[in-house]
Amino acid sequence: MKHDTIEKSIPLMSILVVLVISIGGLVEIVPLFYLDSVIEKVEGMRPYTPLELKGRDIYLREGCYNCHSQMIRPFRDETERYGHYSLAAESQYDHPFQWGSKRTGPDLARVGGKYSSLWHQEHMRRPRNLVPESVMPNYPWLEKNSLDYADIAKRMEVMQTIGVPYSASMIQNAVADLEAQAIPDSESDALLERYGDKVVLDDFDGDAKRITELDALVAYLQMLGTLVDFSAYTAQER
Amino acid sequence: MVHASTPPLEMYDYGVIKKFSIMAIIYAVVGFLVGDLLAWQLTFPDLNFDSPYLSFGRLRPLHTSAVIFAFGGSVLFATSYYVVQRTCKARLFSSALTNFTFWGWNIIVLAVVITYPLGLSQGKEYAETIWPIDVLITLVWVAYFINFVGTLAKRKEKHIYVANWFYLAFIITVAVLHLVNNAAVPVNWTDSYSLYSGVQDAMIQWWYGHNAVGFFLTAAFLGLMYYFVPKQAERPVYSYRLSIVHFWAIIFLYIWAGPHHLHYTALPDWASTLGATFSIMLLLPSWGGMINGIMTLSGAWHKLRTDPVLRFFIISLSFYGMSTFEGPMMSIKAVNALSHYTDWTIGHVHSGALGWVAMVSFGALYHMVPRLYGTTIYSKGLINLHFWLSTIGVVLYITAMWISGVMQGLMWRAYDEFGNLTYSFAETVAAMHPYYLIRSVGGLVFLLGSLVMVYNVYKTIRQAPDRAARA
Amino acid sequence: MADEKKPVETTGHQWDDDEGYPLKEYNNPLPKWWLYTFYATIVWAVIYWVFFPAWPTLSGFTKGTLGWSQYKQLDEEIATAKAAQKPFDDQLAKMSLKEISQDPRLLQYAISGGKAVFGDNCAPCHGSGGIGAKGFPTLVDDDWLYGGSLAAIHETIDSGRTGAMPAHLEAHDGSFNTAQVENLTDYVLSLSNQPHDAAQAFKGKALFNGEAGCNGCHGDLGNGSLKGTMEGEALEASVGAPNLTDGIWLYGGSRKAINQSIAKGRNGKMPAWGSGFEGFGRKLDPLSIKEVSLYVHTLSGGSF
Repeated sequence: MKHDTIEKSIPLMSILVVLVISIGGLVEIVPLFYLDSVIEKVEGMRPYTPLELKGRDIYLREGCYNCHSQMIRPFRDETERYGHYSLAAESQYDHPFQWGSKRTGPDLARVGGKYSSLWHQEHMRRPRNLVPESVMPNYPWLEKNSLDYADIAKRMEVMQTIGVPYSASMIQNAVADLEAQAIPDSESDALLERYGDKVVLDDFDGDAKRITELDALVAYLQMLGTLVDFSAYTAQER
Repeated sequence: MVHASTPPLEMYDYGVIKKFSIMAIIYAVVGFLVGDLLAWQLTFPDLNFDSPYLSFGRLRPLHTSAVIFAFGGSVLFATSYYVVQRTCKARLFSSALTNFTFWGWNIIVLAVVITYPLGLSQGKEYAETIWPIDVLITLVWVAYFINFVGTLAKRKEKHIYVANWFYLAFIITVAVLHLVNNAAVPVNWTDSYSLYSGVQDAMIQWWYGHNAVGFFLTAAFLGLMYYFVPKQAERPVYSYRLSIVHFWAIIFLYIWAGPHHLHYTALPDWASTLGATFSIMLLLPSWGGMINGIMTLSGAWHKLRTDPVLRFFIISLSFYGMSTFEGPMMSIKAVNALSHYTDWTIGHVHSGALGWVAMVSFGALYHMVPRLYGTTIYSKGLINLHFWLSTIGVVLYITAMWISGVMQGLMWRAYDEFGNLTYSFAETVAAMHPYYLIRSVGGLVFLLGSLVMVYNVYKTIRQAPDRAARA
Repeated sequence: MADEKKPVETTGHQWDDDEGYPLKEYNNPLPKWWLYTFYATIVWAVIYWVFFPAWPTLSGFTKGTLGWSQYKQLDEEIATAKAAQKPFDDQLAKMSLKEISQDPRLLQYAISGGKAVFGDNCAPCHGSGGIGAKGFPTLVDDDWLYGGSLAAIHETIDSGRTGAMPAHLEAHDGSFNTAQVENLTDYVLSLSNQPHDAAQAFKGKALFNGEAGCNGCHGDLGNGSLKGTMEGEALEASVGAPNLTDGIWLYGGSRKAINQSIAKGRNGKMPAWGSGFEGFGRKLDPLSIKEVSLYVHTLSGGSF
């Protein structure tokens, strides 16, 4: 076919453009949905607790991904600095993913448990009080804003429809579970029953009387990278 | 200027092009201003002012959307409507659709300006717009497609001009990318969760993200180049054959390049390989556009001495050539291992975005505005000043980012004599401070250049011969 | 390249010829260098696909002849590095902290490793070089909460510490009223020779060593759990109650700060970096903990 023919016909040119631009995407994207090797078999992954899910929403709202990656690359320096390289399995419930593209600040994939909640409180108030070199903004509003979690069950239902394995009882008890995790010394057995006993219970914002946005964000950060049991993990070909 | 015949100006719909051109200039200033504020925030973090509405994480998406979609988008609407009418000798297909695209696009921009600082975001880079805005974008885009193709259908010359191939491919591909990447389930009127998660979402996001660069910022602006460079140089395009080969090669190969944003991540190795190899194969097809642009000037080089508009085109093509060389190089896994996550990427993006996209847009605006208003440019000297401010600004910006990026990448992996990490992360942040300062200044110089353009364009419109032309 | 020398024709099509110079196209051949370089990149890509994982199939992907994967590359990288460090690491594992500290070359090695670990893991709280911050103890002086010996530092890093200063004010679920907390504040101020109300301090002292039981942790003289005594008996050192007489303050030594500490309590937390780390596994391996212990020990000049 001479190019003359193509460049004289809008429909022909349009159809060819659609065909030509579709191939690459199809080859690269579709296999990720059907190949078993794409997501590793691991132990310990669970959906976010209601409080962590709200914290993750705040992480997205504040655009943390603009400066922090959650993807430890398989390099010696990164595994020494941040811990075991990140697995695909670890972000399988992340709608959307938060691997990031820039490290203006350090990687956060395994920040969970590294610092005390007290540190996070101070650090969110004014990072340079603790890390003078930091260029992170202050987030004083997080500890002032009460957490709005009226729609938490709705959010979990939506997550469930797109493949996150929330059970009916998790959704039913969303509000109770959220409060149990954030309020110190509350009845938390049911929460741990549903999400496992590794769930971090703390007064994340340093204010025992209120549940704030800081509670949620710190709860999310304190859990990052702590789920997968690496003692039971062996590298898989993928 | 040689007038072949009386220009049948009334034949074309110039109103919408004037409006889009003016908005493009306004959005350029806003986008550069926010970008430079961000640069200063990284230099002096107290400039976040403890305000949620001004904090870096919320403003950075505002900057990227303002420059890519508001400024770049308005330039593309203006130029594609100008080019398609003039190369088809036909008025825009539908004035209703024309108006809908103008008002729709500007309402989208307004919605972005309101929602981002409020923290309403999908959390996907370059696709932060919440789902109701995504729906509106889709509607405007369908209207744009119909209007563009409808105008093409009225063409007098049977052959569709090469500029329009690129615009057509851009409109079609951006529609596909936008629809697939933004698929989400709403929670309420502002929030939604992406249909995809983890590794699949990452692949889809960067398939989208890279081709936003590939089609929005490359293919579409090549379309622009194919009209404005030969027109301004008053020379025929260098090679029709090269146009054909590099057009099809570029749109076929670009789509594959996304995974190079995900080297050494949890994306499978095979996908990463495809991203790297196709990026390398993309180099020469990308350069095809540069060759065709620059070689069009052969026999007309002397015009560079007297025509500052042409100078904008030539430098933009040079930056285009440089960044389309740098891109494939950075997609090689070993290079990417160093450059990824650092300011090198930021420098690369800006050599493309400021050096190529913004400069070629400035050239097109300087070419178009006097013709739209039936006058000549107010001051060539000011165009020249704008040219130098832009060039100095870009050079300061990208060299600062190259140094800080390569330095930080090397510091992250530096080992001492005992085989232990030499620097903590915080030390690498401190080391970048001087380069952040230089970058902020470079951005400011570039911003000043755009203000010179505002003044020059304002005076040009003011001197237009009659009120009707000014409307 | 002047036009006259080039007999290339335009394609004959023409656009936008109403005004100015019309758009035309030459039909120059593809530049040879361009075409051959393009072919070369394609050849390079094909060769790359032969050697490396590249194409997805219906059930897997082409593995490539080299058997390369990014995780194997990491394993090799780490194996090489570990092999180079092995002579040192073997000794480090065998020897006690004290022995290492007496072997200059080995100590230098350990400090290099400890400094690297400290920079990314400890410095965010304790500051660059261990300078400290409010609520996060400085490590460069010889004032220790849980002891400055190598063994104590190692224990602190490996298992973590949790401060246990309770809240005293009624409003914070304590058992004392505002006036009593004020009295205690004055007494604590008096311990470090700061301006105070003597009458209130006198009342505070009675509370301190009586109803409030502060001396149970801080000692009868308020000089902390490491040095202090209660009725002649040594205190439990692992409580980590600070010396209130030395003018070194973790949460500030102003009247307001001391009052807050007494009223609301303080529960600073040092995470456990070894076996006690929250979640699965350990955050730092035993060798790294040894190294960072030695590094921290040298920051303060050390004690044994």
